[in-house]
Amino acid sequence: MRLGFDRFLKILFSSFFIQTSWSFSNLQGMGFLFNLMSGAKKNKRSKIMDTHKGFFNTHPYMSSYIIGAVERAYDDEQSSTEEIQKFINIAQTSFASAGDLLFWEILRPALLLIGTILALKFGVIGPLIFIAVYTVFHLYHRIQGIYDGYNMKWDVIYIIRSKRFTTTQHVFELLGAFCSGLLFSVISLELNYLLIIPLSILFILLLLNKVPIVVITFVLILLIITIIWVGI
Amino acid sequence: MSTILLSVIGAVILLDKYAFGEFGISQPLVTGAIIGALFGDVKMGIFLGAMLQLIFLGGLPIGRDIPPDGQVAGIMCSGAFFLLRITNTSGHALLIALLFALLAAVIGGTLDIFTRHYNNKLFHMFLVRENQLSMYHLLGLVTAFIRGLCIFLPLFALASIIMVPVQFPRMSQDLFAIICMSMGLANAVYLFVKRSTAVYAIIGGLCGLVLIVF
Repeated sequence: MRLGFDRFLKILFSSFFIQTSWSFSNLQGMGFLFNLMSGAKKNKRSKIMDTHKGFFNTHPYMSSYIIGAVERAYDDEQSSTEEIQKFINIAQTSFASAGDLLFWEILRPALLLIGTILALKFGVIGPLIFIAVYTVFHLYHRIQGIYDGYNMKWDVIYIIRSKRFTTTQHVFELLGAFCSGLLFSVISLELNYLLIIPLSILFILLLLNKVPIVVITFVLILLIITIIWVGI
Repeated sequence: MSTILLSVIGAVILLDKYAFGEFGISQPLVTGAIIGALFGDVKMGIFLGAMLQLIFLGGLPIGRDIPPDGQVAGIMCSGAFFLLRITNTSGHALLIALLFALLAAVIGGTLDIFTRHYNNKLFHMFLVRENQLSMYHLLGLVTAFIRGLCIFLPLFALASIIMVPVQFPRMSQDLFAIICMSMGLANAVYLFVKRSTAVYAIIGGLCGLVLIVF
């Protein structure tokens, strides 16, 4: 069974809108339904509309894996509505935590750190490299996710343990640590070393104590006003 | 560049935050370069974007959590700086732009919650008219765009009329960089440096020193 290029394109394009109507009542529910309907065969649309009006939430780049598998389930007509719903419930949380960890906690901050260091040293090349590399990774998961979901159906959930997740995560974790050290030496030789160390320690302590980012932002505002007023 | 046009551009870029794509275009590092190019000073735009990026490196939108909006802060800092610089010194423009950016980040986070509550209404309207799924879903683009305008328009308008008295304290570019880089360093250490990766951080530090020396 094959997905077909035009259906693939419809699913891919509509997946860019998965979070457009994100709401507290059903999170990405409407986006998921919109995504599912855009790639579904015409005779399956009313059934999909009746079944998938509920809550849905996952990592936006990972939704492709789930959409692909669900489209396949409707195409081969071998799964019950309960089975499909059960898969969605399990897959959305698994892919959400895998995607949050890979993209939000590791890959994106690491690439932004690399981009920032490059931008400070070489200018416009920093943002360009960030956009180019980041696009490769998220588009890869979005495109391959649709095909893998469609071909592997329920087994797509095991892809979370594959090298595409674990190796990327590991490599970018190390790269992030490497760039943290790099940033430290880049800063230390160019700016007022004495002020950076206590300020960094203060912020690290706030972050380690899980102080909300809103509070840290206000601390930052107060700090700026104090420093300016004291006249450092 | 007019305040309205800059606000519209800012609100369109901000759609990338979650309403369309999440391609990374709305990250401060990129928006700084874009806004810098619009005002004819890419170098300063990139500097501002990079600094704001360091502050908001760790604001992670995990699950239902809505942290202060780093993307809004990036657009606000570069946009407000270039608007303020027309009638003020660079030092004053930098100070006010940074304060505006941090304030906008907090307002952005709060407005995000309002927008998502408003999207509940879109969902309920869809339940009444099920054949209008695409329309009600894509109306989320409008709510996200309006959110952007609500943040940028008043603050950019304010930035374009503010004239700071010369005696008022100003912020040097070095001090601005020290504050942002301290926060950036703290974010980087918090996110990446653990017992298992500490060696790589040390290697990175040594490589940085070697690169600078040679």
